[in-house]
Amino acid sequence: MCTKNRKAPRRNEQTKHEGKIIMSHRNITRNLLASLIAGLFIPLGAQAADAELMKKIEAMAKEIESLRAQVQANQEANKQAIADVREVKEKVQKNEDKALDKWLTIGGDYQFRVDSLRGETKPFTDVQGTFQAAQYSAMTTGTPALSTLMTFSQNMSAVQTYQQARAFMGNATNQAIMGGLNNFAASVPAYKPENASLYTNRFGLDLNAKATQDVTVTARLLMYKTFGANDDSAITNGGATPFFSDRVGVFDGTLGHIPSSSYLNVDRVYATWSNIADQDIWFSVGRRPSTHGAPSNLRNNTPRPGTGGTPALLVDYAFDGMTIGWAPDIDALPGAYGKICYGRGYEAGFSKALTNSLEDTDMVGLSIVPIDTDALRVWAQYNRGMNIFDAPKMANTYFGTTMPKTNLGDIDWYGLGAMGTIKRVGPGELNWFADAGLSVTHPNENVSSQFGFQGLMTGAFFNPEAPSSKTGSAIYLGLRYDLPSKTKLGLEYNHGSKNWITFAPASGDSWTSKVGTRGNVYEVYAIQELDSKPISSRFAKSFFRLGFQYYDFKYTGSNNWVGAPVRMSDVNGQMMTMAPLSKAYNAYATFEVKF
Amino acid sequence: MRKSLIQLIVSIALAVGALTVAPIASADDVKMVGVVTKIKLATDGKSAQATLKDGKSGESVTINITDDETLDKFKDKRIQEGDEIRAKYDNAGNKSKSFKKTAGC
Repeated sequence: MCTKNRKAPRRNEQTKHEGKIIMSHRNITRNLLASLIAGLFIPLGAQAADAELMKKIEAMAKEIESLRAQVQANQEANKQAIADVREVKEKVQKNEDKALDKWLTIGGDYQFRVDSLRGETKPFTDVQGTFQAAQYSAMTTGTPALSTLMTFSQNMSAVQTYQQARAFMGNATNQAIMGGLNNFAASVPAYKPENASLYTNRFGLDLNAKATQDVTVTARLLMYKTFGANDDSAITNGGATPFFSDRVGVFDGTLGHIPSSSYLNVDRVYATWSNIADQDIWFSVGRRPSTHGAPSNLRNNTPRPGTGGTPALLVDYAFDGMTIGWAPDIDALPGAYGKICYGRGYEAGFSKALTNSLEDTDMVGLSIVPIDTDALRVWAQYNRGMNIFDAPKMANTYFGTTMPKTNLGDIDWYGLGAMGTIKRVGPGELNWFADAGLSVTHPNENVSSQFGFQGLMTGAFFNPEAPSSKTGSAIYLGLRYDLPSKTKLGLEYNHGSKNWITFAPASGDSWTSKVGTRGNVYEVYAIQELDSKPISSRFAKSFFRLGFQYYDFKYTGSNNWVGAPVRMSDVNGQMMTMAPLSKAYNAYATFEVKF
Repeated sequence: MRKSLIQLIVSIALAVGALTVAPIASADDVKMVGVVTKIKLATDGKSAQATLKDGKSGESVTINITDDETLDKFKDKRIQEGDEIRAKYDNAGNKSKSFKKTAGC
């Protein structure tokens, strides 16, 4: 049943299928016919489309060709533009290389300063005044006889050694003349020198030229003059006995550092060859940066001197000389360097064989800085001054024109110091320093006839002393606290022993170089920088500084290596070449501009 | 027990070897003298990149600086563009080991 029923539908489906095929064939036939009929009309339309297409293709080809030409032209133009830009760049580079600021740095500073000076002296007999009085008397009254006085003076200046001085002093004729001089003694009672207002201008011009790779030339020109005067009399006690040997007049080592004239002098000029043998080795020669070394940069508000300069406690003197230095690369000792320095303090000229020939005065130094970072800088210094002169060349002083007449011996100096900055001490930073120095003299047999037979730290006027080595010591301590308001508050103290002698006449102190004081010096100061944007250079700034110094001299002869120091309490009318100042006060204010 | 001992010895040997080799494998130091052409200080002030133009080859090298001493010098302009610097840095990450002005005078 089921089978029969199944076969019947199949037959029907087959019939339907065959019908469909027939229908499909009919449809195909119709379509073919229609296509053939339609095909009769196609060629005409196709020909028209082809022509149009060809035109378009030709147009496109032309456009492509045009574009290609344009691209090529652009490429050519670009190449030209690149070449032009390169040329312009080269020209700019050449101009930059030649530009002044590429090789020449110009800077400088101006300082206006007002000092108010006051002091207290001890009674003494002025040597120069005494001789002048005797000379005046000889010329006006004939007593003593002028010829006698001239012979005495001539014989005195012929004395060269301690033994000769003793012989001279033992001579009866000379003793009589010296006794007679007492009649003309220029006694100066104790008094209180005062200058309520001393105004000065100081102007410095700094130049640094990069001459060739690794070779530079640095120069500093300096002018320092007093308001209302074109000489040094304001700080040398002009017309009267000077107080200190470093303020008798201006000489080669202090030129530009003591108010003297409106002349712009060459304070520094030196050529430096660095990176020698691809190492951090340098050689530098010229008028050296041997003034205002560390730690005086703190109170001067100047940058640290870096590898240049010498410790201010031992040397502050404008030297002509040279240096060779090496900064080895030691990870554990950042900033370490060492250098050997040489300077000529006095050029004696041709030798004078028939007399006590003057030798050149030279100084050599060895400086070792084992670490130099902001947090800590340590230095050790050794100097030897050889053939130390008795007086530098100076013109128009109280003593007339002075010059070296003899060499008194050698001096050794030893120094050890450190400075650093502690950050975040309260709202600001604390700078500190501590420095210690030792001076050891090595006198020869010579005495200074122009200073009454005094030797190297030995003897007194007309009272020669056998040469012997003297050892002096000094300490120098200080703090400076820097506030975010650009206010800097400083405090300094230094002490020098009886026989302390330094080589620092070029310091900026008005009375005398404070680090050479035989006694105590206290100084406080405040610096206020103006909150103004630097324009001229990275170091440009302007600030006011107010300060006060108090000197308490315990011995005479600070900063003077001629003659033995005398305890200040023992000074009472002795013959002296300098006025013995027992106390000194200096209130000062400055307005300074660095550019 | 014996296996553990061997493992321990091998571990120690490897550790010692690693420690010994580490410095050798670490970057070598490069020294150069050049002029600062660019200083880029990070906004937080804790690092900086300084580009030096080698005085000999003329090639520029950018050195990464993180030490306070040098960063302070950048901040207060003690070191700035145009200064000649003697630098030491590792050649792996150009990390500065020493960055100071060439000595002189």
